[in-house]
Amino acid sequence: MNAMLFNIGYEHFLVLAAVLFLIGVAGVLIRRNALIILMSVELMLNAANMTLLTFGRMWNDLSSHTFALIVIAVAAAEASVGLAIVVAVFRGRRSVDVDRLTTLRH
Amino acid sequence: MMRILCCLLALGMAVGLVQSTATADPIPVQVKLSCPVGGAVTSGFPGASIESCDLTRGEPKSPLPDDEFRVRAHQVDGTELDLVMTRAGKVVKSTRTLSHMDRRESAGIGMALLFWAFAIAAVAGALFVVTRRNLIAAVMGMVGSFLGIAAIYMMLFANFLAVVQMLVYAGAIMVLFVFVIMVLNRPEDEPVAPTGRVGGVIGGVAILYLIGRLVMLLIHVQVPKALTTIANEAPKATSLGHDWGSVKAVGTDLFGPGVFPFEAISILLLVAVVGAIAIARPLSKDDGEAEESP
Repeated sequence: MNAMLFNIGYEHFLVLAAVLFLIGVAGVLIRRNALIILMSVELMLNAANMTLLTFGRMWNDLSSHTFALIVIAVAAAEASVGLAIVVAVFRGRRSVDVDRLTTLRH
Repeated sequence: MMRILCCLLALGMAVGLVQSTATADPIPVQVKLSCPVGGAVTSGFPGASIESCDLTRGEPKSPLPDDEFRVRAHQVDGTELDLVMTRAGKVVKSTRTLSHMDRRESAGIGMALLFWAFAIAAVAGALFVVTRRNLIAAVMGMVGSFLGIAAIYMMLFANFLAVVQMLVYAGAIMVLFVFVIMVLNRPEDEPVAPTGRVGGVIGGVAILYLIGRLVMLLIHVQVPKALTTIANEAPKATSLGHDWGSVKAVGTDLFGPGVFPFEAISILLLVAVVGAIAIARPLSKDDGEAEESP
């Protein structure tokens, strides 16, 4: 128990990333507001980044940092396009509730 | 909540500052000198790792005895050593200068407590995002979570990425979200989706399956001993001698092997900006009509 609490190893970082990822998955599945879903996706991307950095540190491979930087840039692009879509949808329908976006159903 | 997060952030910054300004310990020298220092120190060192060395005598701060020299040795891996040598070639004192100042920082109880504090901040912020009904509260939770994650990056010796994380996520993306929330300006009716029994059962089973697989993974997979033993030590310098995760190291990698993804990402960002403007722009004619119809 003491060793687990006070000896921080790679497993701690990996488990923390997994927990964050799970919370993000839960947010995407549970919530119905498009903005919250986008935030949860950002959370999942961050968790994946943390895993990447941990493995890069584990194997002394610096290209994980490059990769994580590129993932951050992709996440920024994704957030901007996603928010633009949210704004466009809201302008048309006065709502960002994903459960009500059923125009394509039939 | 935010006050606690700010205190934690300040604490993390202080630790990072102390870490970056800590003076390097004298290290034992295994390197051998082969360069002539004043024509005298050419003794039997088969110097493999010394690239060049300068004789830097005559520093007024701490005068040396007459038979000793100050030598700055440049090693092949980019690190530099300040040596004090006798004429006979004996190393009296050695200090590692310049790069690779990382030390055993992520070991010990203090760092463990910091890790737990930031991990709890990150998880609590994430839970805030998922559970809050107020959108601004959710964004603030997200910012707290991202700050905790940045501190965790710092503990992984990813210094540059920690700063990028703060700038991009806690700065730019947070502003973007807050801006859109203010534009929409609409309280959420019902935060949690009652998507019917079938959807709930499927979602619950999926989450339980994911958690189960995660637990099984953590129980069964053992990290090799050789990896766990170095878990808390400062990482090695890169092959060019830069500190692990520093701007120099990441930049060297980004503009060396990673230059194609770098260029690709610039094109992607351009396309994303154009696409975002094209999507969010009000349609000139039918916009008014679209707003009429519910």
